[in-house]
Amino acid sequence: MTKLILSTGNIISGGPSIIRKPGAFRSNLELTNSLRSHFLAAKEDYLDTLDHGDGDGDGDGDVNGANGANGAAPPLDVVVDDNNGPASARRLPPSAWTSRENDALYVPSIDWSGEGYGLQEEPARYDITAKIFFLPGVPAAQRAQHARDALSHVLRVLGAPAVDLLVVSFPGLSFEGDCEWEADRRNSVQGSDEDEVATWAEGIEELHRAGLAKRLGVAEYGSEKLAKFLQRVQVRPAVNQVNLKNCCNVPPPLLKLAKDEGIELLVHSDCTDILPKGTLRELLGHGLGGAGLLADPETGAPGLEGDLTPQWVVKYTAVVRDRGVIENKGYFAGALLHDP
Amino acid sequence: MGLLALGTALDWPDAKKQARLVREWGIKQLLEIWNKAKGKERDAMLWGDEVEYLVVTYSKDDPKVLLSLRQADILDALAQDKSLAQRCSPAPDESGYKSSQPPPVFHPEFGRFMLEATPGKPWGIEFKELLEVESNMKLRRCIAKNHMRPNEYPITLTTFPRIGSPGVFTDPYYPVSGPKLRSQFVPDEIANPHIRFPTLAANIRSRRGRKVQVNVPVFRDENTPWPWKDPTVNYDLHQWPEDDDVRNGAAPDNFIHMDAMAFGMGSCCLQITFQAKNLTEGRQMYDQLSPLGPILLALTAATPVYKGFLADTDVRWNQISKAVDDRTPEELGEKPLEKDRWRIPKSRYASNSTYISEDARLRPEYLDPDLVIDENIKQQLLDGGMDDRLATHFAHLFIRDPIVIFAEDLEELDLSKTDHFENLQSTNWQHMRFKPPPADNSIGWRVEFRPMEIQITDFENAAFSVFMVLITRVILSYRLNFYIPIKKVDENMETAHARDAVLTRRFYFRRNLFPPATRPSRRGSPSGSSTPTSAAASRPPTPFGPVEDEYRLMTINEIINGTAYARANPGNIPACAAAAADDDKDSDEYATDDFPGLIPLVESYLDSVNVDVTTRCRLARYLDLIRKRASGELWTAARWIRNFVASHPEYKRDSAVGEEITHDLVGAVVKIAECEARGEGWKDLVGEIPGLEKFLGKAR
Repeated sequence: MTKLILSTGNIISGGPSIIRKPGAFRSNLELTNSLRSHFLAAKEDYLDTLDHGDGDGDGDGDVNGANGANGAAPPLDVVVDDNNGPASARRLPPSAWTSRENDALYVPSIDWSGEGYGLQEEPARYDITAKIFFLPGVPAAQRAQHARDALSHVLRVLGAPAVDLLVVSFPGLSFEGDCEWEADRRNSVQGSDEDEVATWAEGIEELHRAGLAKRLGVAEYGSEKLAKFLQRVQVRPAVNQVNLKNCCNVPPPLLKLAKDEGIELLVHSDCTDILPKGTLRELLGHGLGGAGLLADPETGAPGLEGDLTPQWVVKYTAVVRDRGVIENKGYFAGALLHDP
Repeated sequence: MGLLALGTALDWPDAKKQARLVREWGIKQLLEIWNKAKGKERDAMLWGDEVEYLVVTYSKDDPKVLLSLRQADILDALAQDKSLAQRCSPAPDESGYKSSQPPPVFHPEFGRFMLEATPGKPWGIEFKELLEVESNMKLRRCIAKNHMRPNEYPITLTTFPRIGSPGVFTDPYYPVSGPKLRSQFVPDEIANPHIRFPTLAANIRSRRGRKVQVNVPVFRDENTPWPWKDPTVNYDLHQWPEDDDVRNGAAPDNFIHMDAMAFGMGSCCLQITFQAKNLTEGRQMYDQLSPLGPILLALTAATPVYKGFLADTDVRWNQISKAVDDRTPEELGEKPLEKDRWRIPKSRYASNSTYISEDARLRPEYLDPDLVIDENIKQQLLDGGMDDRLATHFAHLFIRDPIVIFAEDLEELDLSKTDHFENLQSTNWQHMRFKPPPADNSIGWRVEFRPMEIQITDFENAAFSVFMVLITRVILSYRLNFYIPIKKVDENMETAHARDAVLTRRFYFRRNLFPPATRPSRRGSPSGSSTPTSAAASRPPTPFGPVEDEYRLMTINEIINGTAYARANPGNIPACAAAAADDDKDSDEYATDDFPGLIPLVESYLDSVNVDVTTRCRLARYLDLIRKRASGELWTAARWIRNFVASHPEYKRDSAVGEEITHDLVGAVVKIAECEARGEGWKDLVGEIPGLEKFLGKAR
């Protein structure tokens, strides 16, 4: 069994792929597009190091190992194909642009001390938000570990001791439909109250007590779920993130509850099932725009083999507090590869 | 309008003699600030808005609507009142947010019929503060109104439709043709009586050697006689030498002719000033906001009437430019250079002529090839430690003469002040202004965005202010690049004047705003760090393509809303303007590369920061207004006023906007403001005021 850690790097200057499309109010395009372009960039970076022979950063022993493994394809061949971009990059062996650290395979490899990591100024000057997405189909008992894992990656990449707000997104929750009253009512039977409370107590409150998350939040809680949740948890959420077609139409019961209980209702535009299994396979597979990391049984292309399951996703944002400038934003995703 | 120090103002011949000294001292003062403030770091994002009002006397039953000249009395009443806001408590915010704003501040303006109001202290970037802007603007209007007579109203039309028309248009009445302005249309008393203002007007006229010529093309309607000769021009005045101007061709056919600074500087605008975190970020903002100037000018168009006639332009900009144009015939290129130092292509009031950032993305091809600078001054600045690009900027501003000089200020150079520097700086009215910290270095480097026209309601004024604030955050977060050649910005500024330019014209705009695809592991700092990163420097530079490939023509709909939206909502282009729209069309209206649009960029930014539902809802209403103005789903104020005039029973389709029409237009504006002040929508006025729903929408 191999743990995969996918990352996007800092996507804030990542170009038009992160700009929302007209009419889209809930989407995971930002995650999938930025993963895709980050994979590609990592490969091109590798090709560049061959091209310019400057060998800094990621060009360590792996470079030679990779080319050796490629046998008949010496570096020159790769360089010649450089202009073809994605096609040639896809043929790169995984070891050229990914790396293993402890029990995890980093896709792509991360230079934790490189440009674009860490914050420009001291962490206290930032408002740092992390949002962890627990994905459907993953046993709830593993969530506490996933939360620790996710948050530690965020803190490491930003070089920060804590996040200011940690929002938790449980699978299966939403405000569906155009009628907000109806959406609020339907929300009450979504998800699993028992699992959510257990995750909160075992995983999330711990992070807060350990000083790693100053405030906590939930996402997509309707008035009924939120009221019940508040009665059962020790550390109350300070925030409830909601996604509504029109943010001017918050269901009145939710508005009232939030006001009475002093909970901030924040807007978000993420979809809850942010990284479905099929999407992950496409991202890492051999198809158009895929990273070519997985073995392809149809063509016999080599690569990682086994069943791949997304486990969690975490999104993080660092905003300079008194300037409203977003300095760093990105995602990590954790996945498990079950050996065949 | 800068510091209103009292003193003995020099007449032009004397002022001219001191111009060199003032410039020299101004540069010394600038270097003093530069050396004190160049290393300032980490200033917070603060910003302020300025709203300007016309004060009119209006009553429903009196057919006369007049400009009130009681500015001094009103300001006095405001200054005397210790409990300014007592009768103006705006409805508490739904979220229970309590404002920490001190009372607003009121300022005099050039026109004696004008007022300016600013918030009591600058705004921060907290989203809840952004929501306070609108209620604060309403509060300002309410306070102003409460210190006026019952029949006086502060209104936010850019210009008074009948200023300078024959007959009575001010209260009290004064005869025209005074010694300072020598205007045949407006009295000297139209200007603020503080010595600075009449001196400014008189010395501009005197330096220029004749009166200013503010000629606006008249709108040709069905019954407009053609060629059209401005019927209000008097060719038989012989009181001042300048009365010859009209006999020497100052008033050409088919133009509304105006002859005084008041016609320009009497216009109201909406200006926003931002504090940057440091010098580098300030220079970046100055450059990046500059190409947005013409776009926001066209989008806020609100000035279709001058001196009682419909104009064929929609905005105030060029009229102000001409109203303060102090260039001599030699500087204008009408005569060979003998006494003057150089030809100067633009008025002191004009679109930007410089980019000032040391940004690597700034290509030399973007700079103005015709830029005039004073090489001596540039050298002094370089010697004083300023870098080439900023030295060039100030050496350009300092080609002008100081217009108003007080004898008392020439006794000795005071380096703890900035008065001489400000003398030149504040009479260079470009569409952006780069502001160094004050002499005591107590605030940061600032950038002023100046092109927007004032809007009739505070809802609209707040919407445009907040939009610009968000745009600056988007630029800095995403490190956007709006650079196009300055000459193209100039061209856009002209284009923005066309009637309904917002819908019918296309503007040069940069195709790709994003940084070229850089490698993630080597990405530099996105927040405008003052120290360049070594990785960025060591990387071989991306080869540039031709500059002409970097931009293309776009509609404002496309620029604001993005290509996809513009394609789906081609807008409500008035039939009469459709022909004009064709003049610069390629065969394909939308090029193949999609432009993301400024509003989708703002929305993506908002998606990435923590915003509460109430705030987002309010911001959505602001963005919705701007989206629809850009697409034509809603009308600009200019188009609404044109429609109002055209549908008025007294309008004879001859381009003339008579007293009754003006009375009813001002009445409508007053009513809209009263409804807004009461916190009511405009629904009740929809049947009563023509075109209201197309102007302000249904949302309110």
